[in-house]
Amino acid sequence: MGQVVHLAVNGEYHELSVLCDETLLETLRDRLGLTSVRETCGIGICGACTVLVDGRPVSSCLLLTSLADDAQVTTLEGLVGPNGALHPVQEAFLAQQAFQCSYCTPGMILSVVALLTENPTPTPEEAAAYLAGNLCRCGSYLRILAAVEDAARRLQQTRKLSR
Amino acid sequence: MSGRTTFGMIDAWERVTARIRLSQDVSIPGMLHAAVVRSTIPHGRLRRIETSGAWTVPGVVAVVTAADLARIPNLRPVYGPQIEDQPVLAHERVRYVGDMVALVAAENARAAREAAARVVVEYDPLPAVFDPIEALRPDAPLIHELRPEEPHRGHAVYFGLRPIFGTNCCNHFRLYTGDIERGFAEADLVLEETFRVPAAQHVAMEPHAALAYWEDGRLVVISGTQTPFNTRQILAQLFGLAPEQVRVIVPPMGGSFGSKVFPRIEPQVAVLAYLTGRPVKLVLDRYEEFVTLTRHATVVTIRLGLTRDGRITAKRVQAYWSTGAYADCGPDVARKGGFGSVGPYRIPHVAVDSYCVYTNLPPAGAFRGYAVTEVVWASERMMDIAADALGLDPLEFRLRNLLHDGEQFATGETLHDVHFRECLEAVARALHWEQGSRARSPEGRLRAKGLAVVMKGMTTPSRSEARVGVDRAGRVTVYSSTVELGQGARTVLAQLAAEPLEIPYTTVRVVDPDTDRTPFDNRTTSSRSTYMMGNAVRQAAEALARRLRELAAERLEAAPEDLELLPGAVCVRGVPERCVSWGELVTATGSDELQEHAVFRNEGGLDPETGHGIASSHWHQGAAGAEVEVDPETGQVRILRLHAAVYAGRVVNQLTAALQNEGSMIMGLGSALFEELVYDEGQPLTTNLSDYLIPSFLDLPVTLSHDLLECPGAEVHGLGETALPPVPAAIGNAVARAIGACLTELPLTPERVLRALRATRQEAS
Repeated sequence: MGQVVHLAVNGEYHELSVLCDETLLETLRDRLGLTSVRETCGIGICGACTVLVDGRPVSSCLLLTSLADDAQVTTLEGLVGPNGALHPVQEAFLAQQAFQCSYCTPGMILSVVALLTENPTPTPEEAAAYLAGNLCRCGSYLRILAAVEDAARRLQQTRKLSR
Repeated sequence: MSGRTTFGMIDAWERVTARIRLSQDVSIPGMLHAAVVRSTIPHGRLRRIETSGAWTVPGVVAVVTAADLARIPNLRPVYGPQIEDQPVLAHERVRYVGDMVALVAAENARAAREAAARVVVEYDPLPAVFDPIEALRPDAPLIHELRPEEPHRGHAVYFGLRPIFGTNCCNHFRLYTGDIERGFAEADLVLEETFRVPAAQHVAMEPHAALAYWEDGRLVVISGTQTPFNTRQILAQLFGLAPEQVRVIVPPMGGSFGSKVFPRIEPQVAVLAYLTGRPVKLVLDRYEEFVTLTRHATVVTIRLGLTRDGRITAKRVQAYWSTGAYADCGPDVARKGGFGSVGPYRIPHVAVDSYCVYTNLPPAGAFRGYAVTEVVWASERMMDIAADALGLDPLEFRLRNLLHDGEQFATGETLHDVHFRECLEAVARALHWEQGSRARSPEGRLRAKGLAVVMKGMTTPSRSEARVGVDRAGRVTVYSSTVELGQGARTVLAQLAAEPLEIPYTTVRVVDPDTDRTPFDNRTTSSRSTYMMGNAVRQAAEALARRLRELAAERLEAAPEDLELLPGAVCVRGVPERCVSWGELVTATGSDELQEHAVFRNEGGLDPETGHGIASSHWHQGAAGAEVEVDPETGQVRILRLHAAVYAGRVVNQLTAALQNEGSMIMGLGSALFEELVYDEGQPLTTNLSDYLIPSFLDLPVTLSHDLLECPGAEVHGLGETALPPVPAAIGNAVARAIGACLTELPLTPERVLRALRATRQEAS
């Protein structure tokens, strides 16, 4: 009972025959081997499996791949530049050491990318509200908020330079 | 970030790129995927298991029940770290909802899960019991029949086990000091209260994941476990192998918090791998996580004898730990909670009875805070109740009774390096306690402050071994069986090896635990690694530095004291041309790597009859304070400020230490306000994050802060969990003060707070 789906994942085009009840999480992790896409709750609460679908953060455990036909999907693997350069949000997480076990980090980083696209200079309250759907059981929340601030600064710098 | 002891994680790049390979990411060509068929009733006899439906699913390779285990020669299909009471698969009887009844292996995970769902199990229900006190009644159904004449002790029981035979009590810990009756007779006031803490779930973000395969009669298991050597030992005993015939490899984990202590799914994947002749991997789903291991639901009754001037004359504790269907390390939890319940106070007459009790619920075992969160809730709430009854300030009342350096704890051991007072005072300062414990409240809100102190033991006795080596390229490697679960073990051990060798810590390689390659360690628990393994690594690195100097002295024909160790080379001081590289020194020995091995032990133990002896070779000490605001209309609690002060002795890494403190406090906040596993007649009602809440960004206190207290020349004290246990008690004390009501049960949900508030108002009117 397959269905053919066209996906652009991290800029690479895929034509895939997927099961009708296959989630995007399963497609990305099991079929395409993108291990940054991680399951915790499987019911769209924890945010660990967050990916960007057409630029918007989505719990990939809830989205059926068959419903994502023609979508542009970005996982953490897709943030790294061609020469291995980290994305400014990754750089900020690294500089602020905004993790412990780092299981939630890929979903957290992608949510921060989406946040800073929508709101380039969020207050800590705005950041906390936006990221409330990304859980970190290690409790690295304060460092993550510091990383958001750091990432906002880095992205603004990048924008200034590219002007 | 800056500072002399702030070191970024050596694997930070791997973490922000997700290149770090966790247990669930491990795969081997040709491997099968497993799924588990679990009991749907809390207690019953297995009447029939019908597996034919499972075989109709394409891709199914094996369906295994207890009857199939007979096909494995020499298999002893029962295990357990402290009591061997857990069958690999339920045999004749199931003991909780979630008990493993059958296993499926298939070509892919979907097929395995679908096949597992098609296994039909029929049961004859048996009476079940869910409350630890009811489970001790003479008419309670017996969940296990432990008998004195049968060997049932697991290899990891390092203390005197005292089951009460013929009951559901699998360990009764006693600690008796002085004359308890005399203590109460000398009191002006005697208070008694019963406290409850519910079961809780660790919710490590990464689930349990394990892969097993057999290679020339040897078993290889790759698993996210905090206990590589215990797991090796238990697997060896199961299969009738020598321990060396089992190899356990531990990749880094996406969190654990105690959930991955002792075997959880390793015996099952090993059995499947044996029966199929192929590698088998099992990754649990979130429902399964919720029925695999929990924190103990606990009932603690405390009776306190007090004099009018605020001294404690006697303390009587009765604690009941619901350990679920299998003991796991519950016997030790009852023991550590038993002596932990006394608290860091001078009490001449003490009597503690702590009972680990089987119930028809998921097994309870290690959980960050290990028994101490539960007893601190009871003990430190009781201290506030007592202070109120005496009309004393809660801080002042504690300070009057705190143990000082050189005084004896209830076990008879003398305490050294004692810092409870500093911890409490640091918390009081952060809370502006001098302005009073009742804060000014805005219109329609009730504000107050509370604090609590903690004394927590570290596993005693235990042993950690390490090797530090340098190879022909001059590269330094640490071989250690301490596991990386997000606490930064790799980083801290690299630092401690780098110091004596005077090299940058980022150049040190740390090998992940592999029982074939890395030497013995007790386990990564009990906040013991930075201290125990840290000392072993440091000593091995120091020995290596000495060895390099000696070899260079010979080679350079110089006295060792004239040599200086530089990164990668040894040189004659002041003569930079007279140098020899570490690589050359290693090559000259003819070996590929020059290694030094070190062993670090702590000693002690308690008499099982009296509870006297050395409970802990040193003590983890801390305190927490909270300022809260309660909405009396809704019962909602808001945390304005949360502060913890933890005695670190010496901080090895400010960054990871701070993360441990913050993480512990946030986890404690979850336990204080909302974390609770709920069961209805043994059926779990909280089986995912939809029903079981853990703290999010929005639950952060307005201010979250902490202190790490150091002392010149002091030894390193572990920090992995000390800031957790006092948090629920500090918050509870603050909420109780704010609403003027007695709170005895966690978590402090709005409903519970509102009920307490109404009860107080009714009494008043």
